[in-house]
Amino acid sequence: MITIKNLSKEFKLSKEQRKEQATDRKFTRAVNDLNFSCKPGEVYSLLGPNGAGKTTTLRMLATILKPTSGSIEVCGIDAVKHPREARMKIGFLTGSTGLYARLTANEIIDYFGSLYSVSSNTLKERKAYLYDLLDMNGFANKRIGQLSTGMKQKVSICRTMIHDPEILILDEPTSGLDVITAASIIQLIRDYKAQNKTVIFSSHIMGEVDLLSDRLAIIHNGTLKHQSTMEEFRKEMEGQSLTGAFIKIVQS
Amino acid sequence: MIFKIFKKELKETIRDRKTMLIMVAIPLLVFPILINVVVGVSGSFNESASEKILKIGIIGDSNDLIVKQLKSIPASFGPKELIAYKGDSTRLFKDQNDEVIDIALWYDSGLEGILAAQGTANVLWAIDNTNIGYSERIKGYMNIIETEERLKRYDELGIDEQKLQPYRITYQNTASDRQMLGELAGGILPYIFIAFGFLGCMYPAIDLFSGEKERGTIETLLSTPVQRWKILIGKMLVVVLSGLTASFSALFGLFVSIEFLDLIPDPTLMAVVSKILTFPIIIKLFALLLPLTVFFAGIMIPISVYTKSFKEAQSIITPLNIVVVLPAMLGLFPGIELNYLTACIPILNIVLTTKSLIAGNLDYILLAISFLIMLSVAAAAVFVSIRQFGKETNILN
Repeated sequence: MITIKNLSKEFKLSKEQRKEQATDRKFTRAVNDLNFSCKPGEVYSLLGPNGAGKTTTLRMLATILKPTSGSIEVCGIDAVKHPREARMKIGFLTGSTGLYARLTANEIIDYFGSLYSVSSNTLKERKAYLYDLLDMNGFANKRIGQLSTGMKQKVSICRTMIHDPEILILDEPTSGLDVITAASIIQLIRDYKAQNKTVIFSSHIMGEVDLLSDRLAIIHNGTLKHQSTMEEFRKEMEGQSLTGAFIKIVQS
Repeated sequence: MIFKIFKKELKETIRDRKTMLIMVAIPLLVFPILINVVVGVSGSFNESASEKILKIGIIGDSNDLIVKQLKSIPASFGPKELIAYKGDSTRLFKDQNDEVIDIALWYDSGLEGILAAQGTANVLWAIDNTNIGYSERIKGYMNIIETEERLKRYDELGIDEQKLQPYRITYQNTASDRQMLGELAGGILPYIFIAFGFLGCMYPAIDLFSGEKERGTIETLLSTPVQRWKILIGKMLVVVLSGLTASFSALFGLFVSIEFLDLIPDPTLMAVVSKILTFPIIIKLFALLLPLTVFFAGIMIPISVYTKSFKEAQSIITPLNIVVVLPAMLGLFPGIELNYLTACIPILNIVLTTKSLIAGNLDYILLAISFLIMLSVAAAAVFVSIRQFGKETNILN
């Protein structure tokens, strides 16, 4: 379970940025008073155009960024006050596939397993399970620099899930992937949901949102524009496509 | 956790060919190559300079006394060819300018008569001193001629040469060979360590912070439950180890050059060098280098953390090299000694302490001050690094 209340994030503007934006303001508000919660066994989608504040929100949930105000509760833990404890419960997949090019996939998984203090037996079991699930056995001992984008994303997802987190936060997990790899990742998210885990993900691909989401939120300029169940959203579409409904909400 | 981070970063660093080249290969090979080239070039130069037949233009005739005396000097003092200009001083000096002759010799026209009358004759040697070795050779010739003439005059005057010598002076060098080497060449060793230590730290410091930011891997690392200061220390240890490895490789290269390439022909000097390059001295050297290398890592990491790309970090850290090497160069000057003031100047104190260590006249109080000063600046640099690494605006692009 993850609950956020009145979550806001401000960034200081540099002189150059103030000049570029033609403003005298010293701060810019990337996220403004967000409220939502996501229960176990639920997939929550965060939608918004570029620069809407999705990544900043996900980074705050993953405790990489500290909120300017508001609270985040992760499985009953105050994530702002106790970020390390909260991180143990979270698996965070960043937008850019950040992997070490000079290490093998196996070395990366072992490294992150050790950082999450996963015991060697559990690590072995988790690796066997995830390698089969993601079809990684063929390239587990290859260096990341030699892998394709799809293979790298599989390693990233495996890395995110190696400590069996309660909450999975995925920032555009299928971005730039071919349909087959994207389908396997979609299947993995479904499996995770079936295990009564919490999944929050951001995406630009409306078909993917439609397939996976139980609930969704649309944010624009850091502000929550819409929040509902997927079913309610479909009803409100009034015959429009998902993309059309999304654009209408953003522009309203 | 720090060790896990260190182990992974070290593995990645070792697999980076560029870093390994800077860290090990270049420092290891630079001395054998450099010393071989310098010794080879200077050896062949000295050989050709001593074998060169000096063309000496003389103002007078080949029968003049000084010319006869010059001719009688054995070829072992350097071969020469004498060309008489028979009073034509304009042509003599023009020919020297045009490099037809190497050296011009001018003397009073009645030189033989002046000497016979026990007077003082003027002799002028026109030498282009950019030609190394010419001046020394001429001074050697003149010393023989002048001594011969002086002794002849003592005989004529019936003077006992001994009676003209009220003092028999001996200037004894009380410094040992080791002290001399420590003073003259002792500064070079720490200078080398500082230069290579800095270079060795540079690439990992940029790669492990700025590079990781650029590649987007830092965000993944920060989402783990490891405290940020532990991540920083784990990475910093790799940077420090790289700096020390570069310094050690340079020392090893120097040791191999001296021990196996037979570059020091003087056995006394070789014995002194062997006495310096002992295990306890090397350990002490590295003990001094440790806080210095931590300091280097500590000034590079905040820059690397602050900058957004590898290139940007490199463009700031590279000129910093000059700032760091400047105080090290000061220590190379003779006369600058380790005292209470210089012991308080970071980097310079390490150079001077190492100099004293090599010369074998180390003051342990000054050593302690130098070490504490370096420890303090290293601790301050680590503190700044931790603060910079803790700032979220610095670690995410």
